[in-house]
Amino acid sequence: MPGPQKFAGDVMRPRSAVWLALGWVGFALLPWFAGSGTQPTLAPPSPGPAGSALIDGLTNGRWWLLPAALPLILALVATALPRLHARQPAILLASGAFGLAWTAAQGFAIGLNGWAWGWLGALFGPLPLGQGGFGAGAALTALSFLFLMTNGFAGLGFMKGDRFTAGAIGLVLAAIAAFVFLPVGYVLSGAGDTGTGAFSAAALWSRLAAPDIWRLSCLTEAKACGVVWNSVFLAVMTGIATTLLGLAFALVAVRTGFRAKKLLRVLTVLPIITPPFVISLAVILLFGRNGTVTLVLADWFGIPVSRWIYGLPGVLLTQTLAFTPISFLVMIGVVQGIGPSLEEAAQTLRASRWVTFRTVTWPLMRPGVANAFLISFIESLADFGNPLILGGNFEVLSTKIYFAVVGAQNDPGRAAALGIILLCMCLGAFWVQRQWLGKKSYATVGGKGDNGIPSQLPRGIKIAAYATALPWAAFTFVLYGLILFGGFTENWGRNNSLTLRHYLAAFDLSWGPGGLIWSGRAWGSLFTTIEVAALSAPLTAAVGLLTAYLLVRQRFKGQGAFEFLTMLSFAIPGTVIGISYILAFNQPPIELTGTVTILIVCFVFRNMPVSIRAGVAAMSQIDRSLDECSLTLGAGSVQTIRRVILPLLRPAIVASLVYSFVRAITSISAVIFLVSPKYELATAYIVGRVEQGDFGLAIAYSSALIVLMSVVIALIQLLVGERRIGRRTATPVTLQEKPV
Amino acid sequence: MTSAGNWIKSVGLGILAAGSVIALTATPAKAQGPLTVLCGVQEEWCKAIAVAFEKKTGTAVAMSRKSAGEALAQIRAESANPKTDVWWGGPGDPHLQAAEEGLTLAYESPQFADLQPWAQSQYKQSQGRSVGIYAGALGFVYNTELLAKRKISAPKCWADLLRPEFREEIQIANPNASGTAYTALATLVQVLGEDGAFDYLKKLNDNVNQYTKSGSAPAAAVARSETLVGIIFMHDGINQKVNGFPVDVAAPCEGTGYEIGSVSIIKGTKNLDTAKAFYEFALSPEGQATGAETKQFQMPSNRKAAIPPEAPKLEAIRMIDYNFQKFGTAEERKRLLSRWDAEIKAVAK
Amino acid sequence: MSIASKPAGVEFRNVSRRYGNTAAVDNVSFTIESGTLVTLLGPSGCGKTTTLRMIAGLEMASSGTILIGGKDVTRLPATDRNVTMVFQSYALFPHMSVADNVAYGLVVSGVRKRDAAAKAAEGLELVGLGGYGQRLPSELSGGQQQRVAVARALVLEPEVLLFDEPLSNLDAKLRRKMRDDIRELQQKLGLTSVYVTHDQEEALAVSDRIIVMNRSVIAQTGTPDELYRRPNSRFVADFIGGANLIDGELVGRSGGMATVALGRVTLSVPDPGLPAGGVLLAVRPNAIRLRTVSAGETGGDGIPVTVRKATYLGSHMEYGLVSEFGDLFVVDPNVATPVPAGASALATFTGDGIAAVAR
Repeated sequence: MPGPQKFAGDVMRPRSAVWLALGWVGFALLPWFAGSGTQPTLAPPSPGPAGSALIDGLTNGRWWLLPAALPLILALVATALPRLHARQPAILLASGAFGLAWTAAQGFAIGLNGWAWGWLGALFGPLPLGQGGFGAGAALTALSFLFLMTNGFAGLGFMKGDRFTAGAIGLVLAAIAAFVFLPVGYVLSGAGDTGTGAFSAAALWSRLAAPDIWRLSCLTEAKACGVVWNSVFLAVMTGIATTLLGLAFALVAVRTGFRAKKLLRVLTVLPIITPPFVISLAVILLFGRNGTVTLVLADWFGIPVSRWIYGLPGVLLTQTLAFTPISFLVMIGVVQGIGPSLEEAAQTLRASRWVTFRTVTWPLMRPGVANAFLISFIESLADFGNPLILGGNFEVLSTKIYFAVVGAQNDPGRAAALGIILLCMCLGAFWVQRQWLGKKSYATVGGKGDNGIPSQLPRGIKIAAYATALPWAAFTFVLYGLILFGGFTENWGRNNSLTLRHYLAAFDLSWGPGGLIWSGRAWGSLFTTIEVAALSAPLTAAVGLLTAYLLVRQRFKGQGAFEFLTMLSFAIPGTVIGISYILAFNQPPIELTGTVTILIVCFVFRNMPVSIRAGVAAMSQIDRSLDECSLTLGAGSVQTIRRVILPLLRPAIVASLVYSFVRAITSISAVIFLVSPKYELATAYIVGRVEQGDFGLAIAYSSALIVLMSVVIALIQLLVGERRIGRRTATPVTLQEKPV
Repeated sequence: MTSAGNWIKSVGLGILAAGSVIALTATPAKAQGPLTVLCGVQEEWCKAIAVAFEKKTGTAVAMSRKSAGEALAQIRAESANPKTDVWWGGPGDPHLQAAEEGLTLAYESPQFADLQPWAQSQYKQSQGRSVGIYAGALGFVYNTELLAKRKISAPKCWADLLRPEFREEIQIANPNASGTAYTALATLVQVLGEDGAFDYLKKLNDNVNQYTKSGSAPAAAVARSETLVGIIFMHDGINQKVNGFPVDVAAPCEGTGYEIGSVSIIKGTKNLDTAKAFYEFALSPEGQATGAETKQFQMPSNRKAAIPPEAPKLEAIRMIDYNFQKFGTAEERKRLLSRWDAEIKAVAK
Repeated sequence: MSIASKPAGVEFRNVSRRYGNTAAVDNVSFTIESGTLVTLLGPSGCGKTTTLRMIAGLEMASSGTILIGGKDVTRLPATDRNVTMVFQSYALFPHMSVADNVAYGLVVSGVRKRDAAAKAAEGLELVGLGGYGQRLPSELSGGQQQRVAVARALVLEPEVLLFDEPLSNLDAKLRRKMRDDIRELQQKLGLTSVYVTHDQEEALAVSDRIIVMNRSVIAQTGTPDELYRRPNSRFVADFIGGANLIDGELVGRSGGMATVALGRVTLSVPDPGLPAGGVLLAVRPNAIRLRTVSAGETGGDGIPVTVRKATYLGSHMEYGLVSEFGDLFVVDPNVATPVPAGASALATFTGDGIAAVAR
C-alpha cells in the first residue's frame, strides 16, 4: 500500500544517520590502525593505550587524528537540527569531502616514522611520532565520509537524487583510485627515477629510447631486433592465426551441420581453465628435441631433430592454442548475430551462395574479425608464461619487464619504462578498436524476431573451414589428453610406466593421532588458492556489474573518462601490477602486503574489466524503460537491480563469476610478487616445480586444477541458472583470456 | 510505500561497506607470529628446514620459495616496512647487494669459528650482514646418452666447450636475468682476463643455442635431451642425475667460480630473536644436514656438518679465488652486463 | 480490498530542464487539478516527454519547483514519489509472469505476498484480463500487454498516473478502443492522469484539459473545445484539427467578437485580443461550404474558387480548392449534390470554426 508521502529532508535523514553513526563508531570505538595495541611497528611505541582515533589522538599525542571529528560533528548538527534541513545536503557534502580529504592527507603525510615527505619536516619541524596503516576504524570512518559526501550530492539533485547511484559511483571511483591509480602511479613514476629517488627527464628518455628496444637490425643483418618489434610481430602473427582459426570454428559451429558442437564448447573452455605454462610444457614434451612427435618423425621419416620450437615458432604455436578459443567466442557471437533474413533477401535477389557470402555475410562479419584480431593482439602483447618457457632467445616486452625487475640487472626504472611502452601499445590498440568500431554499426539483431534460417556455407568455404578447424581441434584434444596422461607417468618421455606417485606427492592424505593430516605438498597452496578465488570471484562480479550498471544506466559528467579508467588495469601487464602493488601497499596508509587481502584486491581489480564488459554488453540489451518502470513502481535502485536487472543478467553473472574464479586460479605474473609464505598460490607453486624440472608433479597438480575448475563452472551454471523470459536468449557473453 | 525499499537499500550498502572494511583489514600483519622466511633453494629443502626448525623450537616458519632476483626485489620493495624476517639460501651475490643497500642486519654468530673460510669471507665482505651456509661450484652438466650416441667425449675444460661438435648444443642462462650466469661471466673474467673472457664468450656464442632466463633451466634441458651441455651450478646437475636422468657433471679444468649460498636477517624484522634462532639453526650441523636429507648436494659451510657423499668434492675442484668484493658491487656488475649486452647479446640470434 | 484512488494535483512552477546549453523544458508553469486527465500534446522534441518524466522523478528539474498534492517533490527520486507510469514500450518484466508484474510494485513496497496477489488479480480483472495471471508477457498480444501495464500502474493507487504515448504501438482500431477504455477507467476511479501523445485526435478524445507544447515551452492550455475553437497561435491552430490559414484584416470589435475583412467578405470571429491590422484567420475545413454559381454571379457572401480535386468519402466530400487567398481544404457534408472537379464555385463561411490569430 502506498505509504505516507515524505519530504525530501525526511527521506534523507535515516540513511545519512546510519552512515554518520558508523562514522562515529569508526572514529571513537574501533581501532584506527591495523593491529592497534599490539603492533610494535608504531615507532616510537605509543605512550598510552592505542585504540580508536579519538583515544589515540587524545592520549598518545597523535593530534592529527582529531580534526576528523570536525566533519562528524558538523554532519551530526545538520542531521539533528530540523532547522537546517534545507541546507542539509550541502553540509553533508562539505563535511564528507573534508573528512575524506583529511583522512587521506594525514595518512599519506605521516608515515611509520613521522613525516613521510622531507619537505613537510622542513616546513613544520620534526614529528616525534609515526603511525601505522589504516585499520578497521579508519576504513569505516573513511567510508562513512564517502557516503555522507555522496548522499549530499544526491540530496542536491545529482544522479536524479538517487543516493544509491551516487554512493555506488563514489565507492567505485574511490576503489579505482586506491587500487588502480595509486599503484600504477607509483610504478610509472619510477620510470624516471635515477636510482636515488629523484626524477630525471633525461633518465626517462634514455630508458624509453634505448636501442635494444627499438633497433631494427634484424632487417639488415643477422641480429636480433628490438624487443618492441619482436612483440609487435608476434602479436600480429598471433592475431592473424587466432582470428582465422576462430572464424573457421565459428563457421563450422553455426553454419554447417556439424554434429559435435558440444565438443567445440569444451574446446573453448579448456585453454581458459589451463594454468599457465602447461600448454608450453606439453608442447615441449611433444615437439621438443626429445619430444614424442619429434622422435616419431625422426624415426619414421628421417626428419632431422631440431630446436625450432624454442623462439618465435613455439611461442606463436602456444599463444595460438591459448587464444583461439577467445577469438572463437567473439566470432561465434558475430556469426550468430547476422540476421538470416538478410542473406535470404540476397538470395531472392538472385545471388548465389558464394556471392551472398562474399557480398553480405563477410562484410557483416568484418567488425567481429577486427575485434577478434585486436583482442588476440593485446593478449599476445601481455602474455608472459609462454614466452618465458618457450621464448629461447626471442625476447618480448613482458618477459623483459620481468627480468628487468628480478634479473641480475635489478633495474626497476627500466621495468617501469618498458611498462609504459607496453601500456601505450595496449591502449593504442584499444583506441584503434574503438575508433574503428565506433563509426560503423553492423548490428543486425533487432527487437523483432528473425524467422529466416541461416544459409549453408558455399562449398569452398565449408571445406576450408573444416580443414582448418578439425585438425586444430584434434591437435588441442591430443595435447590435453597428453597433459592428463602425463600426470600418471613415472617420468614422461623417459619412463612412461604408470604411477600415482605425483598425485600422491601432491594430494596425499594420512591419519595421524590428531585425525586427518593433509600430508600432500600441494594442499596448502590449493586451499589458499580456492579461498582467494572463492572470495574474489563474487567481489569481482559485484564490482564489475555495479560499474557496468553505472556505465550503461546512468548519465554523469566524465563518464567516458570513468569508463577508460576502469579498463586501465586490463591493459597493464601482470608483472607491472604485481610490482606496483608491493610499492603502493607495503606501507601506511594502506598496508596490505603479506596478507590474503592483497591477493584478493589484486584479482578483483585486475579481472574487473572483463566483468564490466560482460555486464555492459548484457545490460545494453535490456530496455532502459524496465528499470525506470520499476523505479516509478516504488522500487529503489537496489530492489530494481535485485529483482529486475540481475535476473535478466544471469548469463553475464555466470560469465564474470566463472571468469574471475578461473583467473584467480590460473594467474601467475601479477601475484608472483604478492604471494607470501603464509599465502602461497597454486600457480606460483607449480612454476616452482617447473623450474625444478619436476614436470610430473606440476602436470599432476595442473590436471587437478583443471578438473576442479570444470566442476566449479558447472556448479556456478547450476546455482545462478538460466534466465527465463520466453524468447530466444542472447549470445553468450564473451569470456576473455587475460595476460597472466 | 518506500520504507522496505529504504531498509533494503541501507542494508545493501551496509553489506558492501562492511565487505570493504573486512577486505581492508581482514588479516593485519600479526607481530610475533610465525617466522617469515624467503627461501632461495629447492622447495623440498625449504620445507625440510622449516619443519626441522619448528620441531626443535616450536616456532612455526612460513616459508616462501623465491628466486634470488624475486627475493631481492621483494625485500627492496618492502624495505620501508619489512614483512620478511630471514632470507635463507640463494647465491651470495644478491645477499651482498642487499647488504650494500643496507637492507639486512649485521649479526655475529657464536658458531662463526666453526665455519669454512669461504663462509667467513662472505661475512666479512658483507660487513657482517650475511654469512655462507653452503657452497656450490660452477660446472658443466651433460647428457651422457646423447654424448655416447654421437660419440663425443665429455667436456672437461672451458676450452672444450668451443669444440665444433658442440655447435648449437650448449645452453647457459642470460646473465642479465640469472645470477648463475653472472657468476659464470665473472668467473671467466677472473680466469681469462676481461678481454680474454669476452673473446671466449664471442666464440662460445656460436655453440650456444639458447640463453635461458633461469639459471637452472640448462640442467633441466640437458636432462630432457633438449641440449647436450649446460653451464650451471653443479648441484643443480646432480639433482637431475638423482632424479634418474642420464646426466653427469664436470668441473672445468682451468678453475671455476662458485656461489656461497648465504643467509641474512632482514633489517627491521619484527621477530629479531626468532630470526636469530633460525640463523643459528641454519649454521648448525643439524640444520645443514637437512640439505642432504632432501637430496640437495651443496657443500655445507659448517666444518662439523656431515658432507653428503654425492656432493661434488670441493677439494677435487680447482676453485679460483673468487673476488666477491669486486664482482659483487653494483657498478662492476652493471659495467660487465652492459658489455655483455653490447658484445654478445647484440650478435646473438 | 478494492482498487481506489488517492488523486492529487500537480503543479509546475517555473520548471526548466537543461542539458548543457540546450533547454528541453524552458520555464514551464502549469497546474493539473486533482481527478482530471490532462494531455501533454506536441510534436516530437517539444519537451512533453521530459515534462512527464519530471513528474515521475525520472528526470530532475534544473530549476523551478514541482509540487504533487501540494508537497514539494522537486528533489525526490522516482522511488519515493507516489506516481506510476505506463510506458510506451509497456516495460513489462520479461522474466516475471503477468501476475508477478502487476504485483511487483506492491511487493517491493512491503505488502504481504498474499494481499499483493489478491490485489493484482483484482487489477487484472479491472482491465479485463482475469485469468491471464500465470502467462509470461511474451505470450500476450500487444493490446493485452498494454492492459497489463495499466493494471500494474493502477494497483498502487497512485496520486498521479502517467501515460507515455501508451497507444503508439497498437493498430488503429485497437488504439481507439484502448483510448476509450483508459478514459473510462480514469473517470470511474477519479484518477489524476497525465497523458503524453503527439496525436491530436487522441488528445481531443481523452482529455479534460490539454497542454500544447512547442519548442520547450507551453503554447496554449485549455479544454479540447477551447483549443479547437479559440487557438491563440498559428501553431496551435494548425496542430490541433488542422486549419486553412488565410491572411485577413482585423477591422473592428464589439461585444467579445471581432470583425475581420477577407477581401470583400467580412467575418465575425471571437475577439483574439489583437490590435487592429493584419491577422491570420484559421479556418477549419468544415467551416467552409461550397456552392456552385451560375456564370456572372458575383456572390457577395463568399469568395470565388476553382475546384481542383473532389473526393467522395461516403459520409462527406473532401475538396481541394484554388482561390486568391491560396489553396483551401474543405470537408463538406453535402454528398447529394457534389461539385465536380474543374468547376468554379463560391466558398462561403459558416459562423463557427474560424479564429483569428497573430500573423
